[in-house]
Amino acid sequence: MIQFKNVTKEYSPNLFKEAKVALQNVSFEIKKGEFVTFCGRSGAGKTTVLKLISCEEKPTSGTVLFDDMDTKDVKKSEAYLIRQKIGFIFQDYKLLSYKTVFENVAYALEAFDFNEKLLRDEVMQVLELVGLENRANCLPKELSGGEKQRVSIARALIHRPEIILADEPTGNLDPYHTRDIVKILLKINEAGATVILSTHDREIVNALEKRVITLENGRIIRDEEKGVFSL
Amino acid sequence: MINYLRKVFKSGWEGFMRQGFLTFATALVIFIAVVLGTGLLFFQGGVSYLTEQIKDKIDISVTFKSDVPRDTILGIREDLTSLNQVKKVDYISPEDAYNTFVEAHEGDEYMEALGLLSVNPFMPSLRIQTKEPSQYKDVSEFLKKEEYAGYISEVNDYKRGVTIERLGELTRSVQVLGISLTLFLSLIAIIITFNTLRLSIYSQKEEIEIMRLVGAKNSFIRGPFLVQGFLCGLFAAIISFMILTIVLFIFNKQLTTLFIGFDSLAFFKGNVLWVILLQLFVGAGLGLISSYFAVRKYLRD
Repeated sequence: MIQFKNVTKEYSPNLFKEAKVALQNVSFEIKKGEFVTFCGRSGAGKTTVLKLISCEEKPTSGTVLFDDMDTKDVKKSEAYLIRQKIGFIFQDYKLLSYKTVFENVAYALEAFDFNEKLLRDEVMQVLELVGLENRANCLPKELSGGEKQRVSIARALIHRPEIILADEPTGNLDPYHTRDIVKILLKINEAGATVILSTHDREIVNALEKRVITLENGRIIRDEEKGVFSL
Repeated sequence: MINYLRKVFKSGWEGFMRQGFLTFATALVIFIAVVLGTGLLFFQGGVSYLTEQIKDKIDISVTFKSDVPRDTILGIREDLTSLNQVKKVDYISPEDAYNTFVEAHEGDEYMEALGLLSVNPFMPSLRIQTKEPSQYKDVSEFLKKEEYAGYISEVNDYKRGVTIERLGELTRSVQVLGISLTLFLSLIAIIITFNTLRLSIYSQKEEIEIMRLVGAKNSFIRGPFLVQGFLCGLFAAIISFMILTIVLFIFNKQLTTLFIGFDSLAFFKGNVLWVILLQLFVGAGLGLISSYFAVRKYLRD
């Protein structure tokens, strides 16, 4: 489903930043329905991997294939075709601040030209799944961190994507909410979606007992089925 | 398509209503641009009024010898009226001239001097107004023709020539200044509005990024911003129209005195459709176009 072939990503220098090599000659493959965790220290290249998958960034060299499509050939204005197959979960939630919980989740469906009549039921169903059916009319600023993350998950799930990209989804949460989020991610994976998680949380990685790709300074140093956190 | 437009309008309306401060700040700046645009329309109206006033003051007076028959003078008047440069020719009979003099000098020493004369000392004359101040020369040349020489006692253009020329230059300068000022201030209004909307959209660039990441097409992202810019402009145009109407109705007398007789309310009433169109165009148009260019930056390939 996703293939990285000798991918290198360099960020060119500018007035404020020095040149940085985020990934160096990275190769791996992720199959449909897998649960893969990328772990590593901050700056190891985890987020860059996710950005390359979602076409936010293009590789400096090498090839990133998404469903056999080379992401280098995808124009910025056509990247939505790939993103509509992906559900994003971010550490900082990335909710639209002036839209309610319901509207934030519905937005992802509206962007797909989804049938208006079914939209309300679909959104409420997903909000129930994440336990936020009673908070549908709240604005993001009225929610706790855990609730915001659940809205983010609901938004990622609403269009039943093939892949979930979760970038440090528990980074801002307490252990209680962290467990909740991990459980939801496992459920999503069991339902058939490919889940790609980026984290530096040892507890989560060890508890998952799924494939772990460990990155250090932009290189893959370990790729293990049922891996553990070891840095 | 209708469904898409409905969603775009709904989303734009939500943004407009819920982003209170941002909406207010943007609408305020567009309001200033609309007021500036409307002010320029009134300025142009005022300049035209002033120019006409000045032009009306410029005339050439031809005094005929006292024995020239009225029909001959009216014939010359016909000849003058047929000239392209001539706007109006008034015949002033000796009686009219006498009456005008009496009205203007009632009770002063000139009247005493007039009383000593047993006959009407005034001679018949023609007062000529040209379409443009510069055309007085053509008319005075025309009057120098051989066939008129025997009838004419005096053409006063030589005495007033310099004044006429200066007034002509003044009206031209006022017009050029008016147009330059209009263009300059319009440019400033456009730049200010565009930059305000750019800043407003810049503050929402993260939201644009989120929309992209959840798989929205560029047109679906751009649409609500265009609607929001349009609504801000429309809101600004409506408010400025209301304020303008109220101010003109309440303060018209003072404004007329301030602007040397230019009746702003009458101008407003006579051009109300243009005022509405201008305000809508400046407000909603600027809002829409500026939003388009401001959001384009974040959606470019």
